[in-house]
This record gives sequence, C-alpha cells and structure tokens, in this order.
Amino acid sequence: MDTATHQSDEDILIHGLKSGNQSAFHKAVRLYTPGMLAVARFYLDHSAAEETVQDCWVTVIDAIQKFEGRSGLKTWLHRIVANRAKNHLRKAKREVSADFSETLDPELADRFAPNGRWATPPSLKTNESAQALLENGALSDCLDKHLASLPETQRSALLLYEAHQHKSDDVCNILDVSASNLRVLVHRARQKIFLMVETFQETGEC
Amino acid sequence: MLMCRDLARIASDYIDGELGPMDTVSVKMHLMMCGHCRTFIGNLRASVDLINAHSSQQLDEELVRRIDERVTESLNARNSGNGNSD
Repeated sequence: MDTATHQSDEDILIHGLKSGNQSAFHKAVRLYTPGMLAVARFYLDHSAAEETVQDCWVTVIDAIQKFEGRSGLKTWLHRIVANRAKNHLRKAKREVSADFSETLDPELADRFAPNGRWATPPSLKTNESAQALLENGALSDCLDKHLASLPETQRSALLLYEAHQHKSDDVCNILDVSASNLRVLVHRARQKIFLMVETFQETGEC
Repeated sequence: MLMCRDLARIASDYIDGELGPMDTVSVKMHLMMCGHCRTFIGNLRASVDLINAHSSQQLDEELVRRIDERVTESLNARNSGNGNSD
C-alpha cells in the first residue's frame, strides 16, 4: 500500500529524526552544523558558538516532535540556534556590534579618484570557473584564511546568504538585521574576497 | 550620472537582482560604456561563485564527532529511560 508517491529527502530525514534514529541524526548533524555554526558565530565567540550548537542538537532530539514543517528544517534549526545564541548574549549583557554605515570596503574606496572614476581599476579579468580556480590548493587555502579573518557579522551573513542559500528575509530574521544592513554586510564581505582573489591572481601570493 | 564608485557601492544589489528598475537601467548604461566596471562586476560575480563553491565543502569533523557523541548519549539515555518506566 504505497500512498506516498513522493517523499522528499528532507521529509525522510525529518521522519528519521522524529523516530530518534541515530543515523538520521548523524546525517543531519553533518548537513546542518556548518550553517548553525555560522548563525551562532554572528552572536558569539568561537567556543561559545560551538557549545551553543552542540546544546542545540541535544535540544533538537525532543524539540523535533513539535516541528510542523511550516518552515524548512534548515531555517527551523537556524532559528533555534539564533534564539539560544541571543539568550546567551543577553545573559552576558553583550551586544552584536557591526558597522553598517559604509558600503564600500576602505581598500576598494581608495582605488577611486575624487571624480568617482577608477584610479586603480581592476587589472585582470577572472575567466576561470570557480571549480577550476579552487583546484589551485593555494588559492583555496587563501580563501579559507580570508573568510576566517572577516568580521564575524560579515562572515555569518555571507555564509548564510551564499553557501547556505537562505532567502534574505530568513537571514534577516535569524540574524536580527534589517534588509538594508544585510546587504551592507554581504557586499562588504564579497569585496574582501574580490580583493583577495585579485591580489592572488596578480602576485600568486595570499 | 552614475560614476564608477557609485556602481561599486551597489554592485552586489545589481548582481543579486535587488536593484529597482531605474537603478538597473543606470547600471546597464554605465556598463555599456565602462570596461573597468564590466571587469569589476565580472570579477565580483566570480568571487561570489568561488565563495559558494568553496564554503559548501567546509565541515569541522572534530566538532561533528563531538556532537554525534552527545546526540548518541542523549538518544541512548532517552531510550533506556523509556524502557525502564517504573
């Protein structure tokens, strides 16, 4: 008796989680932990963020029974992490600080003449695909280094928006920022990576 | 008139299709005339692709192992708790 003609991978995973299936948890932990960590790092330092994500997963064992699928599993998990991280922040009487005032990265801003035209224009055109570029291990390492050195707020916004493919509205909710401030964070982070790739392509150095 | 610096400020909005119709037209007109900005937009777009391709590979195996351990412990504790309902 096959009533369900199509069950998505996510539905199957949710069913496994609700049944307390260990391999479903293992799969979900691998799939969703990087994004959950990106959320937690927006609010907390490295060790507090890791602790928060670990605690969340233990909470999820029971909380998943109440998951009704009104949002996707990823968004639901990210909201749980954000709430816990915000509570943590509140208890520590701290606030997230980020600069939303300037859209241009200072290093890029310096490359324009007073009349608003390029004084130092981008020199090389990137023609290779992302996959081809990443086959260069040194560039991949350099990217790691630069992503790690971004301000936490920029990195979290960038990762949630790009790598974890959230919609803007979801990222704004999870990170408690306005749509325009999210745009600033994402754009600032992208410029840093743009500058890094440019330097790497010109000099071969990170 | 839109200058190169103005375009650099709103480049991500343009790439993501978040600009209003008027601004989109201004950017397109500027790009038709300015090779430097075409290179800039192309390279910024390439950087975005790079971030996407790279970040999706990232996983902290040590953290995942620790979480797995804690989850397994909690699942076992819950299951044995359910079995010993006294």
